[in-house]
Amino acid sequence: MNSTVRRVAVLGGSRIPFARQNGPYARASNQDMMTTALNAVVEKFGLAGERLDEVAAGAVLKHSRDFNLSRESVLGSKLAPETPAYDVQQACGTGLEATILVANKIALGQADVAVAGGVDTTSDAPLALNEDLREILLEVNRTKSNAGRLRALAKLRPQQLVPEIPRNAEPRTGLSMGEHCAIMAREWGVGREEQDELAVRSHRKLAEAYDSGWLDDVVVPFLGLERDQNLRPDASVERLAQLKPVFDYVHKREGLLMAPAYAMPRMLQRAGIKLQDFDFYEIHEAFAAQVLCTLKAWEDERFCSERLGLDEPLGSVDRDKLNVHGGSLGAGHPFGATGGRIVAGLAKLLSENGSGRRGVISICAAGGLGVTAIMEAA
Amino acid sequence: MSEERSYDSPPGMLALFARAGVGLVPGASKLPFIGGGRGKEIPSLTLRLSDLSIDRDKLTAYSRVCGFQLSDILPATYPHILAFPLHLSLMTDTSFPFPAIGLVHISNQITQRRPIRADETLALRVWATKLEPHPRGKKFSIRTEASVGDEVVWEEVSTNLRRGGEGGPAPGERERQRQAEELPAAATWRLPGDLGRRYGSVSGDINPIHMHSLSARLFGFPSAIAHGMWTKARCLAALANRLPEAFTVEASFRRPILLPATVEFAEAWAEDGTARFAVRDAKKGTPHLDGSLKPQA
Repeated sequence: MNSTVRRVAVLGGSRIPFARQNGPYARASNQDMMTTALNAVVEKFGLAGERLDEVAAGAVLKHSRDFNLSRESVLGSKLAPETPAYDVQQACGTGLEATILVANKIALGQADVAVAGGVDTTSDAPLALNEDLREILLEVNRTKSNAGRLRALAKLRPQQLVPEIPRNAEPRTGLSMGEHCAIMAREWGVGREEQDELAVRSHRKLAEAYDSGWLDDVVVPFLGLERDQNLRPDASVERLAQLKPVFDYVHKREGLLMAPAYAMPRMLQRAGIKLQDFDFYEIHEAFAAQVLCTLKAWEDERFCSERLGLDEPLGSVDRDKLNVHGGSLGAGHPFGATGGRIVAGLAKLLSENGSGRRGVISICAAGGLGVTAIMEAA
Repeated sequence: MSEERSYDSPPGMLALFARAGVGLVPGASKLPFIGGGRGKEIPSLTLRLSDLSIDRDKLTAYSRVCGFQLSDILPATYPHILAFPLHLSLMTDTSFPFPAIGLVHISNQITQRRPIRADETLALRVWATKLEPHPRGKKFSIRTEASVGDEVVWEEVSTNLRRGGEGGPAPGERERQRQAEELPAAATWRLPGDLGRRYGSVSGDINPIHMHSLSARLFGFPSAIAHGMWTKARCLAALANRLPEAFTVEASFRRPILLPATVEFAEAWAEDGTARFAVRDAKKGTPHLDGSLKPQA
């Protein structure tokens, strides 16, 4: 048995541009997109016909028929069909969690080469049967007598034709992520202007990354789209200020997007390093306010001592090292796909900047989850 | 005497099918504006259609019906869809020797010289070969070339049979059938009763033998039959992730698939990158289609 832990290298990644809902990918399925991205990796690293040790990926919004989404994508790709695969689903943490899973297997010697990733579409959403209709149909299926079946079928009503649509609301709080973030923003005194500034910076940095060709070997065109469709290179604070707020402050409750604020110090403690010991910070911009609240929390003496149990605050993050090629605000955020975007981008950034450079990733996810990871240039 | 005719946009399919349909009425082909039945030989007519760009929505619909992943690369069978209006124009031309409807599509060979991207602009050239004897009648081929600029990127030979005579199988046919029956099964496909209508709507091929059991009965089939080119496309979709960049894929259409149907897809790959494949009746194992794939240098 192997008892040593090996170092794990991120060799690189590929992704397709992110599109707006009902845009050029309106009819593309998760499997179409995942297969295309997998094939781009196969092309980039010459893996056609090769058997990898595993592919782990997932989607947040998934049809029940896609229970084996990653495996079916592998079978449709140019990888050898003997490549095993499994689905991972951890809300917006999906892509990063999948990366950590395969990295851990490699570290333990259970795998040598693997691919991790994620995908999501809200255009090709998994509509389900109306819940009342579903219960009636299941009852008909359970009932043995014809009379009983007829009694069950008599409960059918026209309004039951309205399908069940995936909702952007937390099952336990009934609030959307945006509403939770609005609570956090108020709690941390994060104003509109600050949020708009972060958003503008994200759009501009990403536009620069495209213009300079930095993303040429990372992003592959798909269905005619060559850049992230949400990207607004000409975004300005003045123009953003004209937009109406989407989420209003509601009654006070704990904001659910603070989980990475808790995850980060635990990880740093295990690694024995400080928050300032990084050359690059990749904080997923679920909302501008989420990033700003997290940064403020790490600077806040009271939060760090009362909530995180630390003797002193984690301290501040150098903004010039934060999301240097833009973030989710500029690129868009197809839930499961974001982790892969960040890991591939940070790997490239680190390798360009020389041995020993260090980067950290922080992603918040629905359900009050946070996933963090450290990467280091070899 | 050879003639060339150029189109700016694909000719309308409904009108072409109407012409093809009227051509079946006894004596109608004597009318000056109706095609089929006037000439004795296949006309030396070349049809051209240039500046053809790909409609992504149509490509998506086609890919869904045939089982292809959505991609920026055209399925190798897709230029056939683009050329089909020209095929029909040619076969319903007044100089054409017999009605288009009633011809039996017996084989199709496609050569992809390189992958074609969906954002490329294509030019098509379509012509027909001379009539040749076949044990069960006479055969001829519709030839198609697709070019990007000066480069021919795609070619097709689509062979049709004009039935006449009750001859036996063509040479080598029995051997191929035996081989097709022996290929290892890879998948079972359940084909719905409306498959012909679905493929008709994405391909433009609304030949009544594919549309409905009632219209198919008029032509002697007990139910609607699957399009041969759907069957070939579905096979290619099943092989898609292992296709080389340049290849020739050939398929012979055997017994029609009566819809709805459950069929078996079979395939075998050789060391040299060639493959053989077949679609068979799931119960009896009799081939509906047998085909082969060969990489091109």
